[in-house]
Amino acid sequence: MKIVFRMVVLAALAALGVWLWLVVFPDPEKAIRKRLNELAATVSYSPSQGNLARIAAVQRLAGYFGTNVEVNIDVPGRVQHTLVGREEITQTALGARAVVSSLRVKFPDINVTVAPDKQSAVADVTLDATIAGEADQLVQELKFTMQKIDGRWLITRVDTIRTLSWRPNTAAHHFEL
Amino acid sequence: MRETWGVTMQNEAGKPDAGEERLRLPGWLLIILIGRHPRKTLVRIVVFLVTCFVVFNFILLPIRVEGISMLPAEKDRSVNFVNRLAYLWHGPRRGDVVSIRLAGPHVMYLKRVIGLPGESVAFVAGRALINGQVLDEPYEKLPCDWNHPPIQLGPDEYFVVGDNRTMSWDDHTKGKATRDRIIGKALL
Repeated sequence: MKIVFRMVVLAALAALGVWLWLVVFPDPEKAIRKRLNELAATVSYSPSQGNLARIAAVQRLAGYFGTNVEVNIDVPGRVQHTLVGREEITQTALGARAVVSSLRVKFPDINVTVAPDKQSAVADVTLDATIAGEADQLVQELKFTMQKIDGRWLITRVDTIRTLSWRPNTAAHHFEL
Repeated sequence: MRETWGVTMQNEAGKPDAGEERLRLPGWLLIILIGRHPRKTLVRIVVFLVTCFVVFNFILLPIRVEGISMLPAEKDRSVNFVNRLAYLWHGPRRGDVVSIRLAGPHVMYLKRVIGLPGESVAFVAGRALINGQVLDEPYEKLPCDWNHPPIQLGPDEYFVVGDNRTMSWDDHTKGKATRDRIIGKALL
């Protein structure tokens, strides 16, 4: 009986150790997924969100990005713009909140590739955004380049991926019906 | 003495089993719920669940259509399935409605293949031209006035576009999709 009790205690201690290890040293892929899902929640907002909550969310948003982050937005039929630095991102986020009453962002698919040194990673992500006043959802593939800085995974670059590309040939012929 | 589920359960002394008395339901109801042979019913349920899991995760992906870009063939909020085995033996064919993955399988584009590898695709006065020849598109009920110069498709590229081309060129998602992005053919 005593041996059984000791075995149970040992197993419980081992489980606790594994759990603690995973909490202190999380798997980079899981940590990045969690971070990106938190980013989606921070970017999202509803019309009922107060001014203080709005400012707090925008300030939190800056914490997800590296100092010299570059965000290249190129969504066909919508916007084509490059944001550089945290400051520009926060200003753009504040401006968007003044124009669009609500935004719901989700990342339903996140594929993470971590570099062998485990200090940088690339995440291929599907963005699914519901924007107030627009009938259709915005669906876009994005590539996040991330780096581990001071123990935190920060976004250093965001690129828009053209899942369906349309690049006309330079020597285009014209056809007539 | 124990007979089958649903009839009076009695112990060896021929008296009703006190612990199982609460289980007693009308015989016909038990037969409907669990059948005459509970073990066989359990096996059938397990087989059914495993089959559903395999079929709907790896063979026929259930999808809900969002948006109007495939009207009138695919209506907004309609339900369909993607057959992942459709292109096991051959590649996508012209006219097929296919699903194209983005970063993963949870959100996909549903578009029609109009251009095959190696072909050139252009739009003139709303008509699609393949290698300079007008493409007959009986599924296109909502005409457009698109004009765009031709693009050449690579050996592994397909040109996909929605059926509803009433929206402007920029608002409509279309273009070249590589073969590895096409995950299956719409079933319905």
